[in-house]
Amino acid sequence: MKPHWIFTALPVSAIVAPSAYAVTYLSVEQAQQSIFPGKSFTAAPVKLTADQCKAIERASRIRVLHNDQQVWRVSGGGWFIVDEVLGKHEYITYAVGLNADGSVHGVEIMEYRETYGDQVRNPKWLAQFTGKTKAAPLELDKDIKNISGATLSSRHITDGVRRLLAFYDVVLR
Amino acid sequence: MTLSCAEIHRARPFLGTIVEVHASGAEQPALLKGVELAFGAVRKVHRLMSFHDATSDVSRLNREAANAPVKIHPWTCRVLAAAQKFSAQSNGVFDITIAPLLQRWGYLPGRRLSRIAADWRDIILEPDHFVRFRRPLTIDLGGIAKGFAVDRAIEALRKAGVPQGLVNAGGDLRSFGAAGHKIDIRHPLAPGQAAGSIRLSGHAMATSALYYSRRQKGRHAVSPLINGQTRRPCVDDVSATVIARDCLTADALTKIVLALREAARPVLACYGADALLIERDLAPRFLSLNHAA
Repeated sequence: MKPHWIFTALPVSAIVAPSAYAVTYLSVEQAQQSIFPGKSFTAAPVKLTADQCKAIERASRIRVLHNDQQVWRVSGGGWFIVDEVLGKHEYITYAVGLNADGSVHGVEIMEYRETYGDQVRNPKWLAQFTGKTKAAPLELDKDIKNISGATLSSRHITDGVRRLLAFYDVVLR
Repeated sequence: MTLSCAEIHRARPFLGTIVEVHASGAEQPALLKGVELAFGAVRKVHRLMSFHDATSDVSRLNREAANAPVKIHPWTCRVLAAAQKFSAQSNGVFDITIAPLLQRWGYLPGRRLSRIAADWRDIILEPDHFVRFRRPLTIDLGGIAKGFAVDRAIEALRKAGVPQGLVNAGGDLRSFGAAGHKIDIRHPLAPGQAAGSIRLSGHAMATSALYYSRRQKGRHAVSPLINGQTRRPCVDDVSATVIARDCLTADALTKIVLALREAARPVLACYGADALLIERDLAPRFLSLNHAA
């Protein structure tokens, strides 16, 4: 019987370039139509004051890293916000749709990026790859489509949504 | 006018991870509908089986099932029945009653609800989707619910008439359709890099490893991948990938393979599943029928 899967081992060696895994799922327009199909959007960007940042941090217990918030007003009521969260290895751009009453209507991840620069630069860590082959650097950011193996948790997104709900209370409401 | 064959690729946060759904091979509106239904199924599993949500079946069981039988959703019942089977076949290596340890090590929130050394044998599945616990215990379906969610999402895509699709819930994935999908497996020592790739068609695959979850607790390293029999965590630089007919099976079997390594062969054989072990300083090892070592 033909095996239903085939494994191809990649050479594991001292890889010099920082590795990255990145996927773009949606543009801003696509995310808008995905969360609020058929609606129109009016840009209403917000620049947070120091007091607003403090109020959001107090309410959400999450640090505010940028004082620029990309916001759109949705036709017929509601808000569309594009935001970013940063983890130890990952960088995620995501969109949140809020109903007119401030409840969450939908969340879409727009872009997901992982990088491991520091890990690769650490010589002790590199030494773990007991030079099995000479191999060219793997340019995984170009090749990888699907990864099996734990992705980082979605906790940063959950925290980000909590921060945006506080942002709604402080600024948009 | 020619109809364009679109491709849809979406990701949303569920089940403590990022769930990706791909659909292709039909017109965009049909694919979008399928993708929405797939996420709907994942959301439903999330609501039923989340440890964090006080209204989920899992939370209700943990609060009440030691006192009186609790009626749960048929989906939760299916997952519990499957978990019991994996526990029996692995002699308790797979065990959903390890939640108090996960709480102690900070992987799950809350004070430990149960202290007594209960195990999977204390979970009793009664008729009509009632469940009771013989002793106070705390369950967590983190080792199996993601796989089940992937299976339900795949079912939703197929029912919606999507010709080709893939669902990936944090490394637990399943695909269908003619073309197959290339899946890269993270290297356990370098999770940003691939150790190799598998071309998969019509099967499910899950990988468990510790690169993101291992922590230091006092003088000991801990992880959420716990051998239910010894109640000790796996803390090695190892990853276990299992390829099986469905994702629930693949997900649960990775925990058994991580705990038992070579000794997991008989359990794998029960399910016609294949496994791939990647360990520090060792060549990848196959535990399988098709690729006998």
